[in-house]
Amino acid sequence: MDHTPELEKALSELKRITGITMDVKADTPGETEQALSQIRCLCAAYKEKYNKADFLKSLMTDGIPSYDISERAARLHIAPEEKRVLFLLEAKTMDETLTEILKNLFPSQSKTYLVPVSGNSIAVLRPLKSGETPESMNQVARTIIDTLNTEALAHVQLSYSAVVDTLADLSAAFRETSLALKVGKLFYSEQTVFPYNELGIGRLIYQLPVSLCESFLQEIFGKDIPESFDEETTSAVNKFLQNNLNIAETSRQLHMHRNTLIYRLEQIQKRTGLDLRLFEDAMTFKIATMVINYLHTERNQ
Amino acid sequence: MASLSLEGIQKIYPNGFHAVKDFNLEIEDKEFIIFVGPSGCGKSTTLRMIAGLEDISGGTLKIDGKVMNDVEPKDRDIAMVFQNYALYPHMTVYDNMAFGLKLRKVPKDEIDKKVREAARILDLEKLLDRKPKALSGGQRQRVAMGRAIVRNPKVFLMDEPLSNLDAKLRVQMRIEISKLHENLGATIIYVTHDQTEAMTLGTRIVVMKDGVVQQVDTPQNLYNTPCNLFVAGFIGSPQMNFMDAVCKVDGNDVTLTVGKHVLKVPASKRKALIEGGYDGKTVVLGIRPEDVHDSEAFISNSQDSIIESTIKVYELLGAEVFLYFDVEGTQMTARVNPRTTLRTGDKAVFALDMEKIHVFDKETELTITN
Repeated sequence: MDHTPELEKALSELKRITGITMDVKADTPGETEQALSQIRCLCAAYKEKYNKADFLKSLMTDGIPSYDISERAARLHIAPEEKRVLFLLEAKTMDETLTEILKNLFPSQSKTYLVPVSGNSIAVLRPLKSGETPESMNQVARTIIDTLNTEALAHVQLSYSAVVDTLADLSAAFRETSLALKVGKLFYSEQTVFPYNELGIGRLIYQLPVSLCESFLQEIFGKDIPESFDEETTSAVNKFLQNNLNIAETSRQLHMHRNTLIYRLEQIQKRTGLDLRLFEDAMTFKIATMVINYLHTERNQ
Repeated sequence: MASLSLEGIQKIYPNGFHAVKDFNLEIEDKEFIIFVGPSGCGKSTTLRMIAGLEDISGGTLKIDGKVMNDVEPKDRDIAMVFQNYALYPHMTVYDNMAFGLKLRKVPKDEIDKKVREAARILDLEKLLDRKPKALSGGQRQRVAMGRAIVRNPKVFLMDEPLSNLDAKLRVQMRIEISKLHENLGATIIYVTHDQTEAMTLGTRIVVMKDGVVQQVDTPQNLYNTPCNLFVAGFIGSPQMNFMDAVCKVDGNDVTLTVGKHVLKVPASKRKALIEGGYDGKTVVLGIRPEDVHDSEAFISNSQDSIIESTIKVYELLGAEVFLYFDVEGTQMTARVNPRTTLRTGDKAVFALDMEKIHVFDKETELTITN
């Protein structure tokens, strides 16, 4: 009996991972099923024992008990204690080209590990070289982005963790970077690099329960919570906040008469009850618009 | 090579940030266009939209007459050079330059031809077997340029490619890029925040601020006839001197009064002030440091444009001297001949070259006289 496509696929996967070629004789569907199951077990066992990326991915997702980490890391020749930073990259699709570029940017001798996370993201675990500080990781992040932009012309966003000292800290670092990527894309979408320790108020809002956000908005706007503000208003308000509530400077930068700006601010006051010329109201408005954005994204998801 | 057309280009990010507003520009084949402006003005975002690395929120982008808004970046026939370039550490210069083509599955002999041609243009032929760590900073930057050249693209997009280099190397690479433009006859769009780079490299410069194009012109025109206060202050180093002045019209005569100093406006600048109804209004008077003179000959011929002050700082730069002084509470700079006898603490008399003054509306900040 010819092999089923599924069995063929499993055999080629086995060869890819282990280098082993097998001759399988399966005459009945039952035998095929049994062969498939054994091949999959073999692949899993091999990955667990020899595949660094698989080991690190399991570590990142809390899949390995802490007492087992050192022994398995030693088997894979990964130093359990070393200062490292975890980068998490996301693209539309993490295709072969991007992976190839990363492999060449961090060749094997650099002790940097690439860990595919999903179809559109990959993690890079990179050691801190001598003389490098946590601050210099921003430069590394920008280099990764610029290289991928140059070579693959791909839009990539990236977050990175704080420095981790041991492999046991990797799952926390992965949670950090995942959070940084989500918060960054939501609140700072014009940027491409999101360091975990520079998320500002976005982190705070993201970690609030939706019900709390809703009651916060209700407290400010009452029942009539605005879905969003028109683009001109948003732009004027953003500029006004950037200029420390300075009407003259804002109207000058927007090429707008100061009375037009004042009129716009008064319209917002009519609609929301917040006088943005007062610091406290301006701050409340800023946070509220961020919360509205957050809820909007949450609902869309 | 190619021409580009940007019509009403907009970029609004999902968080509401409006990075680029109504950007309009026609770029001709073989032009060297510079986008310049302060950090956050939208210049890199515009470049990334041209490359396809950012979606275009509104407007139309055309390359050679073909709409490119939804075309994948790799199909736009462009190449980019960025600030944070990285060479592959384990590869030779040859392999570094060939890598992008290998990824695109270009035949080997074609890769070889393109790499050797790029190496010739960049004077890297003797370094093709070297590894990056054996190269100087300038050579590394040339290899990074080479990676873009081997693609033989329609348009080169460069995003602050020299920002990470030291001052000396920057000057050297500026000359190299200029030569490269001549040799390749390429259309280049170059982003920088450095106005010296902008002035020396560009055939035309786009000055941007807060996502809005302020002025598009040749370097010379931008310097001589800035359209607003921002462009006047941004282009030129040391920057243009600005003073508040009251405009007085008396028949055909127009004067600008700065405190106790009364400056007579020459005939070429009067009409705009009279017709614009500026009589009695405060305007902003701008004058470049090199148009503030301390020579006796100039002063004796310019009795209607005298200002007096005390020198606060004397700065000798070898070929020129910068003198810093205050006029009615505003700091001013004069760029004078190093033979000047003026020193810190001296009482000084200067004459302004009134033919070179710029007058701006205080409210709109737009030019009145240019």
